[in-house]
Amino acid sequence: MYLTREEERTLNGENGWANQTCMKILVRLGELFHAEKLIPITSAHVSGISYKTLGDAPIEYLKALADADAKVKVKATLNPQSLDPTYLTGKLPKDLKQKQLEILKQFNRMGLTESLTCTPYYLSKTKQGSHMAWAESSAVVYSNSVLGAWTNREGGPSALAAAIIGKTPEYGIHKPENRQPNIQVNLRGKLQNETDFGILGIHLGKLLRDKIPTINELKDAPRDSLKQLSAAIATTGMTNMFHFTPTSERKKIERLNVELKDLKHTKEELSTASDRKPDLVFLGCPHCSVNEMKKIAQSVRGKRVKHGIEFWVCTSCHVREKTQDCAEEIERSGGHVLTGVCTVVSWTEKLGIKTIMTNSAKTAYYAPTLSKAEAILAPTRECLKTAVEG
Amino acid sequence: MQPKILKGRTIVEGHCKAQALVSTKPISFLGGVDPADGKIIEKHHDLFGICVKDKVLCFPHGHGSTVGSYVLYSLAKKGLAPKAIVNQTADPVVVVGAIIANVPMIDQIDIKQIRTGDTVEVDACKGLAKILKRKEN
Repeated sequence: MYLTREEERTLNGENGWANQTCMKILVRLGELFHAEKLIPITSAHVSGISYKTLGDAPIEYLKALADADAKVKVKATLNPQSLDPTYLTGKLPKDLKQKQLEILKQFNRMGLTESLTCTPYYLSKTKQGSHMAWAESSAVVYSNSVLGAWTNREGGPSALAAAIIGKTPEYGIHKPENRQPNIQVNLRGKLQNETDFGILGIHLGKLLRDKIPTINELKDAPRDSLKQLSAAIATTGMTNMFHFTPTSERKKIERLNVELKDLKHTKEELSTASDRKPDLVFLGCPHCSVNEMKKIAQSVRGKRVKHGIEFWVCTSCHVREKTQDCAEEIERSGGHVLTGVCTVVSWTEKLGIKTIMTNSAKTAYYAPTLSKAEAILAPTRECLKTAVEG
Repeated sequence: MQPKILKGRTIVEGHCKAQALVSTKPISFLGGVDPADGKIIEKHHDLFGICVKDKVLCFPHGHGSTVGSYVLYSLAKKGLAPKAIVNQTADPVVVVGAIIANVPMIDQIDIKQIRTGDTVEVDACKGLAKILKRKEN
């Protein structure tokens, strides 16, 4: 791998242990994937923030980096944490909050912004064609496919290393030739709502592994639906991007037909709950957009969340600030707008939640393992109806 | 015996001599290895219940969450890390873990040649694993 003189110096430890360690990570990964050089990035997004998923192991490493004066060189955002500052903090044991704060403190010391969201693309516009190092898989696929900003699927530690060096090895999806579709997906039937997009993602992810599909019939799909597809396809597969507008690729590529009955079958697999009564109705995986906040607020206006049901809407602080009226409307109805958190990385099982109803196929997929809960997968409209009517 | 030399690729430089602990299954450091005592805790794993401390840990490749990299660091800080890692195919999670934990690591080694209990010298700078002594039956 070609390194500039400055990069060599960093690798040799002349710019301190933290920079040396981060440079080693990037160079070794680059060599592993046959990168020829490092390229500058415009932003990094780091996953592995929630104390629930991290445990104690990383705290020492993060602290060692911060103690060695590691500082990010580009705009670097953070994935959601395990609790929100108000509602869940009040309900969960104090020591969990302390541990979570300890993790956030180390990231703060290194200059990462406390964005705490899986949708960093709502915070500021990503430039088309810019190279980034993002680690949240749903955001990686959305970014490559919908926003046209380029990022490999980083892990938490490699995204952090990229943030501190301000560069990433040039391999994989950073090269135009690796962004071409290599499988044509023919969808036979129409997707009705955003949940159907998620179900398609779960189904495709299992079949595609790391292939890049071009999917017909999605040209006019709303962005919120493409967000569900992105999150789900990354949940079950290694796919980094999909194409949804006709591509100029003329080469003959493999074909895959998807029938509506395949999706029906996938939906049944994801809906593990035998009982149709949820303890929790959850919207906001991935975190809600401004548009989604508006729709939810409109739908619950003047209504009351049914007694015995928790109703959570998860988003970032940033989107909540932009939709304060909507958030208040949702809270007046008895729902909770939780910022910087989601069910996948929080401790719903500690709150006695055994059945989660959600519009998100990703959440439904992870509910049995990560949340020890059964799932009911249904479109937003049905979720909202259940929240207020039971 | 004449040492059997296996040639692979350097991932993290370093040198050590220790007993081999060989698995035919991939290892997920997150959820698969207990950071408190270094034992393999993944059920149905062929190394279930065995401690990785001070071993030349040989396995095909890693799998699972990238948080696993931090687990290797944590093991090293507690003195519970393997002496070296020998993989068939290195994957990003284990590579990053070995770098931050400073555990010598090589890959592209046919690990089937090595048996648990063999005395193995790893010269990671040259990408070599030398089987010095076979386990006595």
